[in-house]
Amino acid sequence: MNGPLIVQSDKTLLLEVDHERADECRRAIAVFAELERAPEHIHTYRVTPLGLWNARAAGHDAEQVVDALVQFSRYPVPHALLVDIADTMDRYGRLTLSKHPAHGLVLTTTDRPVLEEVLKSKRIAPLVGARIDPDTVAVHPSERGQIKQTLLKLGWPAEDLAGYVDGEAHPIELLEDGWNLRPYQKQAVENFWHGGSGVVVLPCGAGKTLVGAGSMAQAKSTTLILVTNTVSARQWKHELVKRTTLTEEEIGEYSGTKKEIRPVTIATYQVLTTRRKGVYPHLELFDSRDWGLIVYDEVHLLPAPVFKFTADLQARRRLGLTATLVREDGRESDVFSLIGPKRFDAPWKEIEAQGYIAPADCVEVRVNLTDSERLAYATAETEEKYRFCATTATKRKVTEALVRRFAGQQILVIGQYIDQLDELGEHLGAPVIKGETSNAQREKLFDAFREGEISVLVVSKVANFSIDLPEATVAIQVSGTFGSRQEEAQRLGRVLRPKADGHQAHFYSVVARDTLDQDFAAHRQRFLAEQGYAYRIVDADDILAEGTG
Amino acid sequence: MSQEAHSAPRSLAEALRSRDDASLGALLRSRPDLITPVPTDLTQLATRAGTRASVLRALERLDRFALQTAEALAVAPDPAPYPTLLGLMAGDAGDETVAAALPRAVATLREQALVWGDDERLRLVRTARELLAPSPQHPSPTGLGPTVQEATSGMSPGRIQEIVAAAGLPSTHDSVSAVAALTGLFGRRRKMAKLLAGAPDAAREVLGRLVWGPPYGQVTADPAAHLRWLLDRGLLLPTAPGTVVLPREVALHLREGRAHRTPEPLPPAVEPAAAHSPQVVDATAAGQAYTALATVEELLKDWDEGGPAVLRAGGLSVRDLKRTAVALDASEPVAAFWVELAYAAGLLASDGEADERYAATPVYDEWLERPPAERWGLLAETWLSGTRTPGLVGGRDAKDRALSALGPGLDRSAAPEVRHRVLTLLAALAHGTAPDTESVLARLRWERPLRGSRREDDPRSRLARWTLAEAELLGVTGRGALSAHGRALLGAPPAPAVTAPATADDAATGPGDKLPVHHHRAPAHAPVLAPLSPADQAVATGAAVRLLAPLLPEPLDHVLLQADLTAVAPGPLERPLADMLGVLADVESKGGATVYRFTPASVRRALDAGRTATDLHAFLAEHSRTPVPQPLAYLIDDVARKHGRLRVGAASAYVRCDDDALLNEILADKRGAALRLRRLAPTVLATQSDPAALLEGLRALGYAPAAESAEGDVVITRAHAHRTPPRTAPEPVPDGPPPPDGILLAAAIRAIRAGDLAATTPRKDTGAPAASGELPRTSSAETLATVQAAVLTGESLWIGYVNAEGTASQRVIAPIRVEGGFVTAYDHTADEVRTYPLHRITGVAELADD
Repeated sequence: MNGPLIVQSDKTLLLEVDHERADECRRAIAVFAELERAPEHIHTYRVTPLGLWNARAAGHDAEQVVDALVQFSRYPVPHALLVDIADTMDRYGRLTLSKHPAHGLVLTTTDRPVLEEVLKSKRIAPLVGARIDPDTVAVHPSERGQIKQTLLKLGWPAEDLAGYVDGEAHPIELLEDGWNLRPYQKQAVENFWHGGSGVVVLPCGAGKTLVGAGSMAQAKSTTLILVTNTVSARQWKHELVKRTTLTEEEIGEYSGTKKEIRPVTIATYQVLTTRRKGVYPHLELFDSRDWGLIVYDEVHLLPAPVFKFTADLQARRRLGLTATLVREDGRESDVFSLIGPKRFDAPWKEIEAQGYIAPADCVEVRVNLTDSERLAYATAETEEKYRFCATTATKRKVTEALVRRFAGQQILVIGQYIDQLDELGEHLGAPVIKGETSNAQREKLFDAFREGEISVLVVSKVANFSIDLPEATVAIQVSGTFGSRQEEAQRLGRVLRPKADGHQAHFYSVVARDTLDQDFAAHRQRFLAEQGYAYRIVDADDILAEGTG
Repeated sequence: MSQEAHSAPRSLAEALRSRDDASLGALLRSRPDLITPVPTDLTQLATRAGTRASVLRALERLDRFALQTAEALAVAPDPAPYPTLLGLMAGDAGDETVAAALPRAVATLREQALVWGDDERLRLVRTARELLAPSPQHPSPTGLGPTVQEATSGMSPGRIQEIVAAAGLPSTHDSVSAVAALTGLFGRRRKMAKLLAGAPDAAREVLGRLVWGPPYGQVTADPAAHLRWLLDRGLLLPTAPGTVVLPREVALHLREGRAHRTPEPLPPAVEPAAAHSPQVVDATAAGQAYTALATVEELLKDWDEGGPAVLRAGGLSVRDLKRTAVALDASEPVAAFWVELAYAAGLLASDGEADERYAATPVYDEWLERPPAERWGLLAETWLSGTRTPGLVGGRDAKDRALSALGPGLDRSAAPEVRHRVLTLLAALAHGTAPDTESVLARLRWERPLRGSRREDDPRSRLARWTLAEAELLGVTGRGALSAHGRALLGAPPAPAVTAPATADDAATGPGDKLPVHHHRAPAHAPVLAPLSPADQAVATGAAVRLLAPLLPEPLDHVLLQADLTAVAPGPLERPLADMLGVLADVESKGGATVYRFTPASVRRALDAGRTATDLHAFLAEHSRTPVPQPLAYLIDDVARKHGRLRVGAASAYVRCDDDALLNEILADKRGAALRLRRLAPTVLATQSDPAALLEGLRALGYAPAAESAEGDVVITRAHAHRTPPRTAPEPVPDGPPPPDGILLAAAIRAIRAGDLAATTPRKDTGAPAASGELPRTSSAETLATVQAAVLTGESLWIGYVNAEGTASQRVIAPIRVEGGFVTAYDHTADEVRTYPLHRITGVAELADD
């Protein structure tokens, strides 16, 4: 009775990291519990219905889950919790979606009352067809996603065994010349392929693109890749050309500017969700080819309309890639039912320990507002308050001091407000990349930064996602999108790519003390602190004193 | 007494007289209502044992088989020899299990003084017979109808002779012998078989439908041929126009002699549902026991600063219960359980103030000081013996009033007995074995068939379900199985590894009449463990506490601090540490461990509580095994830096002056000491005195202050008119009530006339003459006789009646029915049919004939 695990009454699991059996325990519980926080001593996992169903989908049963808890728990596990876990897991798989030779897609049950119960639901009724026998009911093939989504909401998640169409075959091979898939990437590809569809969770900089490429090489079929923006699309294209047998001609870009449809097509969320006169004109993209695989980059940002389209694509294999399953809008259950269960997960610190992402030193710098700024802040309108404190003049001085301190290294200055960024760019003598910067200009500046021709780059939130700046070792964040946790994670990801010389990355967040800025920063940092990235807090005066001294 | 034993007793009193002290003791122990108050002699004891209420109580406490035996006796001839009873119970085939269990059932009935007489003449006490014998109004559970003799009582002799002839019997000279002959025929299996062999198929089907009851059927005025065949032979007898009944003897023949379709001689076994290792069970139970303590503490701590208000009707409002449930992170029924438990244990009560609220009692503070295992002991003991039933909370009582936690109406006298019984059933299983709930309930229903009907939600079954759930919550059981300390709590032997069924102990309890030896066996189902007396319970609790103590986790003196501003206590904390952390940080998650989160607000709370930043740093450094993370240290300093920079206080008036010197002068003036002025700033003085007094005081000192309004303007003082808020003019008050309307008048007149009739009707002299207008007084026997006579004659009576509130009144009633101690009568006074308890009628008088 001296295990590393403590089971809490709110269904969180506390894992003592320094315990000798911690690793063994982590492996046992990771299959059914979501890692919620991973600070230095005690990691917190949460047992949710989704997690338990993920485990069921991966072939684990309630007994294994209960065993893992009982075996590793330091204190007796409350009986009620064990019963609850068994009950919840038991709900998965009572209903199955499968292909019937005569009736097409059917919903079958092993437990007739459950079927009766769900058929009574007003939301299920329009999705199903005729009752074939007491245990089977026909489902309109077009409602495959919708019914899964609704059943999950009713608490009876259906197992989808209806299989996938192979799609149009297209030869794709990995081109492993001088590099190899890392072990965890291989594992992720294997888990995904075995599971059919699902989500792979990897930290920024851990090579999610390669997991995508690996999966495409497995599928060997035409592939639709959905990404967040054009820069990211180019990035994917570049990487695919470099890492696989695909050529430039085989990869199309479907964005605001180009509308290419090729065996592998990379589309942005933005173009898909463009609406004209109440319709989505670019939806036919999904039907324009017989896609064998659909890859969703940054699943946690998937816009709501894309969920709707995805519901109609349930016969195609779907791969979700993300750094975090946390969605600011709380639609995790839609990710589960429409894209698929989580197939692979590795905590950041673990991958960092394996040397695949750079260790980072996170520092929060607190600046004081001047007296006149404080007065102005106090009288500012509520909606202007954050902007006001986030763009205080003192931040500029601190940023300059930091840039001086890391002179010679590749530095990114990231911010939210264009005025502030322009001003910073002017003072630092650095180019500014913002929304209005043309894509060509962006590429040019990024290239120059990569080559080391310029060492400081000021970027707005356009650079939040998926641009590859391998040699950035220092990031200075001067303002952000309020309290967005995933933005913070993305920005930290900018400096986490392994460095050529292996030296430490630095992430500075400059925050105005005693203001909204500080509250938002605390919120943003929580995710990273929970992932084990401890923030140090220093006073701006220390930085400034050092800068002058 | 014993010298009379050789001769058969002629009455229950005699039977009792012949019993020895041990056997009488057993009777009185099982029917304690017989000695409250102590009867003067055995005749009185026998009378009391035969009263309806007492017999009902005794019947309710019989197990199913004993009850079935009593029911069989009720349909048997009175008195019945033992073989007849055996035949009714075991059937013609002679079920051996039944035959083996029957002596025990008879012994039980004898012990309870429900049956008396020797084996040749077993007699069921008359009241019991009346209660259990089948009648058209109260069908017997046996499903048997009346005997041939009863069913033919109103039949014409001619018709009887016809039936006898049709049945193939020689005709007799009178009805009595004819009925006897018919009864004899129906009792003889072979002849009956022959008779029935000639029955049409449809007739046999009819008999098949009636055989297991209800034995009554409807026929038309002109019955079908197959029914006529049955009616002609007396196999069906008419009871009322259109209704026929299957006579008892015929039914018994068709049932092969059995009074019950399924005699249940053996108690259903409690089935094991799962077996865990005893260590797991004990550890889980101990863990839960600790949680129970923590929960009760948390509950009362939550109520430390103003608990919830007491409802006017008593109890906790639904909203407060919901809030408490959220605070305890439990469901509402579970929250109700904790609240009720703390209340029953005397840890919380209403404070009795004008604005009544619930709060912890001083006992709670003492309780907190005791070691954890002892604290649990108090809770467990309270629960086991308490009659408060938290499971009822949220339901409604018989009058459809909501039952609230801590409110009235939650006491169920059966609760302690059921709890104890359920736990003893668990104790009979091997250590570590969890029972199947349904089998426990089935067993309970078998033991008290009249209390717990076969319905799923009868009160005892509900109590039993709650018991199982509550035992788990309290840590008496772990993973459904009784723990070692739970076993000790019952006063059971420490660890019976294997199932120990109650063995029949011949010597120890051997009540019963001085009769053959098989009657002396102790009832095999007797609970192994009787509920303990308070003193014994204290000993048992002590034993349980000793067993539990080593299993409870040791409090820790350290926490793990983390850079994400959380602290994790990997187990229960020592109380001072827990208290301090509770102030310094917010609890984020509870269970085996506690997760605390530090926030600016929580740190400020600690500073407000009088701690300094240095204290906090020292506290964290002392109790953390690892260095205090930099962000946490920074957080504390950052909050401390801002803490207290603004100061807030109360003042009721101030003095403002641009001239410091003048204020210095005022402060220095000794005469001004009464004004209690305090300097807040060079140009401001504050005081607790009100502005008017301050003005007066300053003027008395010779200054000329001006009053200032809230906006800082000088207040100009001048006389002004005082006004009320808007008011309406008063309504005129008329002299006396408004004139009554027609309906009211008519009702009033009717009431007056009826009362008049009651008061003035001349009445017959009843031997105990009452002065005119006084309540008549008669003895209860007389009352009963008079009322019964009035039912027969249909006359009206004048009664004196005391209602439930103790108000006496006189009424004129026309009795319709007297039964079960109640008179149903048409009440002339109230102009409706009402029911009066006989014992509330102080006396009756017949109305004098005019």
